[in-house]
Amino acid sequence: MMLFLMEIWESVRDFMNTGGDVLWLVAGALFIMWSLMIERYWYLSAVFPKEMKRIVGDWDARADTTSWYAHRIREAWISQAQVKLQARMQLIKTLVAICPLMGLLGTVTGMVAVFEVMAQMGTGNPRLMASGISMATIPTMSGMVAALSGVFFSSRLEAKVKVAEHRLIDSMPHH
Amino acid sequence: MKTVLKSVVLAAAVALSAQPVLAADAPKAKNLEELLQQVKKDRLSEGRINKQREQEFLSERADKQALLRKAKAELAAEKSRGEQLAADFAENEKTLSQLEEELTLAVGNLGEAFGIVRQVAGDLNSRFQNSIISAQFPGRETLMSELAQTKDLPELPQLEELWFALQQEATQSGKIVKFSAEVSTNEGEKVTQDVVRVGAFNLMNEDEYLVYSSDNQAITELGRQPEAHFVSSVKNYMGEGAGVHPLYVDPSRGTILSLLTTKTTLGEYYEAGGIVGYIITGVLLLGLLIVLERLLVLSAIGGKIRKQLKSDVADESNPLGRIIKVYENNRNVDVETLELKLDEAILKETPRIERGVSVIKILAAIAPLLGLLGTVTGMIATFQSITLFGTGDPRVMAGGISTALVTTVLGLVAALPLIFLHSIVYARSQALIHVVEEQSAGIIAAHAEKENK
Repeated sequence: MMLFLMEIWESVRDFMNTGGDVLWLVAGALFIMWSLMIERYWYLSAVFPKEMKRIVGDWDARADTTSWYAHRIREAWISQAQVKLQARMQLIKTLVAICPLMGLLGTVTGMVAVFEVMAQMGTGNPRLMASGISMATIPTMSGMVAALSGVFFSSRLEAKVKVAEHRLIDSMPHH
Repeated sequence: MKTVLKSVVLAAAVALSAQPVLAADAPKAKNLEELLQQVKKDRLSEGRINKQREQEFLSERADKQALLRKAKAELAAEKSRGEQLAADFAENEKTLSQLEEELTLAVGNLGEAFGIVRQVAGDLNSRFQNSIISAQFPGRETLMSELAQTKDLPELPQLEELWFALQQEATQSGKIVKFSAEVSTNEGEKVTQDVVRVGAFNLMNEDEYLVYSSDNQAITELGRQPEAHFVSSVKNYMGEGAGVHPLYVDPSRGTILSLLTTKTTLGEYYEAGGIVGYIITGVLLLGLLIVLERLLVLSAIGGKIRKQLKSDVADESNPLGRIIKVYENNRNVDVETLELKLDEAILKETPRIERGVSVIKILAAIAPLLGLLGTVTGMIATFQSITLFGTGDPRVMAGGISTALVTTVLGLVAALPLIFLHSIVYARSQALIHVVEEQSAGIIAAHAEKENK
């Protein structure tokens, strides 16, 4: 088991070395993105139902649900719930959008490395340029993969948030 | 008559020009008679002189004959001597070849040995020139080059010297030694300091790596030290007295360290970006400043709003407080008027919260575009150099290309944090807007209900 983990760690480190420093940025973005998304899933599935039950209970307990005051209060409660539901969704979407940009950054820094080698050693030896080229291509690929992994789940999350909002609104009838 | 006289005098002068001294000394004739007398007199004396010269010639002719005979005799003597010498030369040549033959016979197998000695000495010469051990023992390579180039047979002491040098190189490459040496610093000064040599691999002073340059056979400071964690290992290593300690060693015997001086630093990369690079930096700094200001202002407003939510008294220093104040001032109006008044107050508050957020987004969008601008200007520079120098040398083009790429990098580097920070600032401002726009009326309603109970 230990050996297996070490082997995995070795291959990850190899991958990071060939990909260059930008890969760490992509990895960082991916890590933050996924922790935020997991936190959102957890909130939606574990915390929000209790929250919703409480709000709906409060609403049902009210004697007055028809006056102007009651409507304003209902709107305020819904808005508070929405703020909590949508917290960090913007950040997740931004991180998804940033990932390919980071890949692009890696592409360009890799090309800079290639041209530096060319400026010093000429074009005679393509092997010297290979490390720069892998520094250019690997972050691009990882940025794409990171963004793709985020796009699907973040849009699923968004839909879930919307559904939760509507369910809350629908379960607070006003007359 | 006078012209005749003149021409006669002239003719006499020309006739006498063979003896210009005489002519000049001749007394001038006063009249024709005297001139006649004088000419007669001169003719007599000239005849005498001529006779005398003739006799001189005749006597000298006999002498010359003798001289000629003598010279001829000398020529004959030299010729015979030349023949003699040529014969001697041929004789000597023969002896020489004979002797050389004898020598090769006498040297026998040793000839091969001496050839190897020369070869080894030549190898050692070039090796010593590059070896950092020569920094401690200067002058070894001159002896080796003498031995490699000499035509004579090496003497026994020289052979021993060669053996000693080989042995020394082998022994010293396994040692860690501290010695005092002259080091040329980057400022061009020469400083004598303690230098530590690790085998044949590294030279270091107290806290830095040094290199031994084979061209001028001197220890020099590196123009650029490697990354900090490599250099700090030197400092730690020098601090230790005994035992085993880690140290980064250059296995290429100084080549990798000298290559470092040609490596481009981040600063140089940044400089390559040019004016566009500076503009992008300006955009980034401006964006960061706005972000900082917004974060401070928004968190201050947020804090005050949270405090307002807990208290019942309207505090006019925050947007929510101001909206509640509007309600308190219009307590007795009907619901619809109150709603209009509240909407008006809310409309006044939102721009203050949203201000500057979109500017960050615009700056984040501008930065990559500026990078693109730099790319294009860099490519223009590249194509200019192609029209000037052709495509033969990729190095000429590489300069423009790296400018193009560096600005792209800078654009992305500026855009990424700005986009990220924009989303944070935007989320914060949105949360406050939610409170002010959608919840303020509800909060007021809750207050009113509490008071009515």
